[in-house]
Amino acid sequence: MDSQERRPVTDDIVLDETIHQPTRLRIMTMLVALPASDRLAYGFIQETLDLTGGNLTTHLRKLENADYLVITKEFLESKPRTWIQATPAGRRAFAEYLANLEKALDWRPRTETAK
Amino acid sequence: MKESDSKLAAFTPQESWQAIHATMDKSRNSMYVAGSATILLLWGVISALGFTAQYVFETLAPDFALPNPWLYPLLWGVLVVAGMAGSAIIGHRAGKQNVAGGAMRSAGIRVFLFWLAVAVGAFFVPAAAGMWTAEAAANIPRVSIGIAALGYILYGIMHRPVIAVVGAGIAVAFYAPSYVAGDVAPLLTAGAILVLTALSAAWIRKSGVL
Repeated sequence: MDSQERRPVTDDIVLDETIHQPTRLRIMTMLVALPASDRLAYGFIQETLDLTGGNLTTHLRKLENADYLVITKEFLESKPRTWIQATPAGRRAFAEYLANLEKALDWRPRTETAK
Repeated sequence: MKESDSKLAAFTPQESWQAIHATMDKSRNSMYVAGSATILLLWGVISALGFTAQYVFETLAPDFALPNPWLYPLLWGVLVVAGMAGSAIIGHRAGKQNVAGGAMRSAGIRVFLFWLAVAVGAFFVPAAAGMWTAEAAANIPRVSIGIAALGYILYGIMHRPVIAVVGAGIAVAFYAPSYVAGDVAPLLTAGAILVLTALSAAWIRKSGVL
């Protein structure tokens, strides 16, 4: 995922900045916690994370542009509904992010202890 | 860099880790309480119907109610089965609008089994205590309502505090009148539970805290 923005924690640990942003991290967490075939409703994410529509849409677009999720619109019981689903690339990126986060968490205590 | 992105500098790995866990908890809890406001209202109406029917039988048809101690367990059995079916349908419909896929089905099944265990317990704990006799039948509600209220309190502690408050309120709405209000107790309980569940559902819908 070299095309994604990355934030260095140390020289050898970098976090994918597309995911690391607080709101996008929460969105991706909700999505990847589900089985791969599951989708979340836009309104459900908005209510659970207590976001405004504009804010949520902005972050979803950023994640969609990174190919981390897909947004689909369809009718459910005659009402329009927007569904969000993590892509395989998004799941891989999140797994990599978690691995790097764990490394960063391991790294921090040793540094603080050394101080 | 957008303002929201600039906050990244303050987001430490520890905070990220905590945010992941907190979000997973919140997301799971939101699935478990899908449709709760409507379900609370449903049980408020069902409880009000049950207690009002008890009051009507006791005051208007005592000659029929007194020699038939199984009337109330039968009445509540029918109401609880109807309530469970109604709750399952409401929860399923609400969940379907939030999550498409297996996660919501699993959450729905867990929620249903929790409340099924509470309902079964409310009927069979009195049986295990030897209360399913003609002499003790009148006291069965005192145990059953306690178990139902405990179910609300435990579920609320696990998922949303407002549900625990409703459970405590149901206990007060039942036990206080039953010890001090005499014959009119079922009617007071019916009104109190209906008001309690209606206020809770309205608060949940207005505040969005569920």
